[in-house]
Amino acid sequence: MLSLMVRRAGFSLFSLLVVSLILFVLTRSIPESPARIVLGDDVTDAQIAAFDAQYGLDRPIIVQYLAWLERLALHGDLGQSFTTRLHMNVEVAATLPVTLELVTIAFIVAFLVSLTLGTLSAVFRDGPIDYAARLLAVLGVSIPGFWLALVLVLAFAVERDWFPPGGFVPLSEGLEAHLMSIALPVFCLSVFYMAVLTRMTRSALLDVLGQDYMRTARASGLSRLRVLRYALRNALVPVVTIAGVSFGHMFGLALIIERVFNIGGMSRALLTAIQQRDYALVQAVVMVFTIIFVVANLVADLVNAWLNPKLATS
Amino acid sequence: MIRACGGIAGFLGALIILSLLIMAVLAPWIAPFDPLRVSIPDQLLEPDARFLFGTDQSGRDVLSRVIWASRSSLSVAGFAVMIGLCLGVSLGLAAGFHRGTWFEQATMRLLDAVAAIPVLIWAIALVGIFGIREARIGPFMIGNEVKLMLLLGLLYVPTLARVTYTTALSESQANYVAARRLQGVGSVRIMLSDVLPNCLSPVIVQATLMLALGIIIEASVSFVGLGVQPPTASWGNMLADARNFLLSGEWWLSVFPGAAISLTVIGFNLLGDGLRDRLDPRHNITAVTA
Repeated sequence: MLSLMVRRAGFSLFSLLVVSLILFVLTRSIPESPARIVLGDDVTDAQIAAFDAQYGLDRPIIVQYLAWLERLALHGDLGQSFTTRLHMNVEVAATLPVTLELVTIAFIVAFLVSLTLGTLSAVFRDGPIDYAARLLAVLGVSIPGFWLALVLVLAFAVERDWFPPGGFVPLSEGLEAHLMSIALPVFCLSVFYMAVLTRMTRSALLDVLGQDYMRTARASGLSRLRVLRYALRNALVPVVTIAGVSFGHMFGLALIIERVFNIGGMSRALLTAIQQRDYALVQAVVMVFTIIFVVANLVADLVNAWLNPKLATS
Repeated sequence: MIRACGGIAGFLGALIILSLLIMAVLAPWIAPFDPLRVSIPDQLLEPDARFLFGTDQSGRDVLSRVIWASRSSLSVAGFAVMIGLCLGVSLGLAAGFHRGTWFEQATMRLLDAVAAIPVLIWAIALVGIFGIREARIGPFMIGNEVKLMLLLGLLYVPTLARVTYTTALSESQANYVAARRLQGVGSVRIMLSDVLPNCLSPVIVQATLMLALGIIIEASVSFVGLGVQPPTASWGNMLADARNFLLSGEWWLSVFPGAAISLTVIGFNLLGDGLRDRLDPRHNITAVTA
């Protein structure tokens, strides 16, 4: 178990190194120099040289990367914006909690609903529940979350005023207002992943229920519920893997959904940075999301090793 | 025909996709109006007999724009998957065939490492970094659509390579490969004419589902203003415009382009599921997320 954890964590680190190098090289290979973006088009060559020297942009790219990596790895320092001179950690700390809250709640909702629905669907295979669940799942993976958001705003915030049409009310301004403001965004965010995970749960469970050892378990007189419990533990492995990937991917959809509802999370930080061509900030935001993605996958691996110890030894 | 698509649902998916392709190709003849025709007196008209889907803030016909937009959406998704297939299948096949070599180890470790990239976030950020203006690569001027295609194609490579690799690995151990070797056939020839056709089933299923994903990603990136640039219509940038008219109640601006996206994605998903039942029944689910 310990050796598995060390190996997985080691690979995650390697993966972050490779990906961060790619990101760094890509952000440094944009056609115009950052000095021109910040200081304007009529900047002199001397000013560009001075700017590059100030930010260390005149060094070889690999030296720049190692310096950036050292600050990030040793001090958790994401760097400084060229345009606003603001420290990126401040920007991320201000916007990440909102996005993280939306994604975490949506993830929990998606996971619990899909586990229930997928199990019912597999147990009552080819019954009305199964057909309904499968139909909903196909619709769920096909309807883009941000369009669903637009339609739900039209239906429930414009035509009727059941929900606010947008904006984010912090928890400090009352629980009810807070929950009302995040209800639609959380729902739209979770639908796609709910559908993916329901399909996964159903198919994994059907797979396990068809195994010989399940027949043996039933034949030896275990109650149906108990058999189902054993089956679920085995069926969960692929579901947890996809859940880990989904958690990381949800931040991408959250960016778009936040924009529909005018919520000032990471999407505002990223899109403003893109508009101002502040690529150091873009790089910081993408790096934060990538770290979250890698950690979520690592956690899923470890949960699986706990669910099925056989995976840890092989 | 129905069996080839893996059942009624798969056949329905194929029909939807086929009709959309025909619509995209015939757009200039089918669309009732020029999608770029601005007409101030016709601003924001509700759907009626003349404008079936209504008109937008510049008086352009929404139906015609939805029809024309299928071109950009389908081509971005289609070319991205093609780029992903070319690179991913070659890498996966070569790595799986040369089992136990440093080439296999290096390629697969690197591809697994790169699989730690959340696709949608990277697509948005990278298009953002490179800017939405036309860029020059060598002698070619490339627009934003092409940039998005290339980027998405590259981001698809790790998954497609992994899928090909897994089957290529087991196929390369098969007796028929050894038999071909004994006949004196060269490795490249065995790889391309014997192993490759046997690896294609899961790849085709994956590629179909990635087309569905590509439509959603193109729409998402265009929705935040970084994909297909106006005045060229794409379902995503039409929804971006529609967002400004959400609260004033011009519902037709958001409903129709989004319905077109959903229908297309449903088509690809049904077809993908059907093809999987038919071609690759051992794997009963393929999860594609972004």
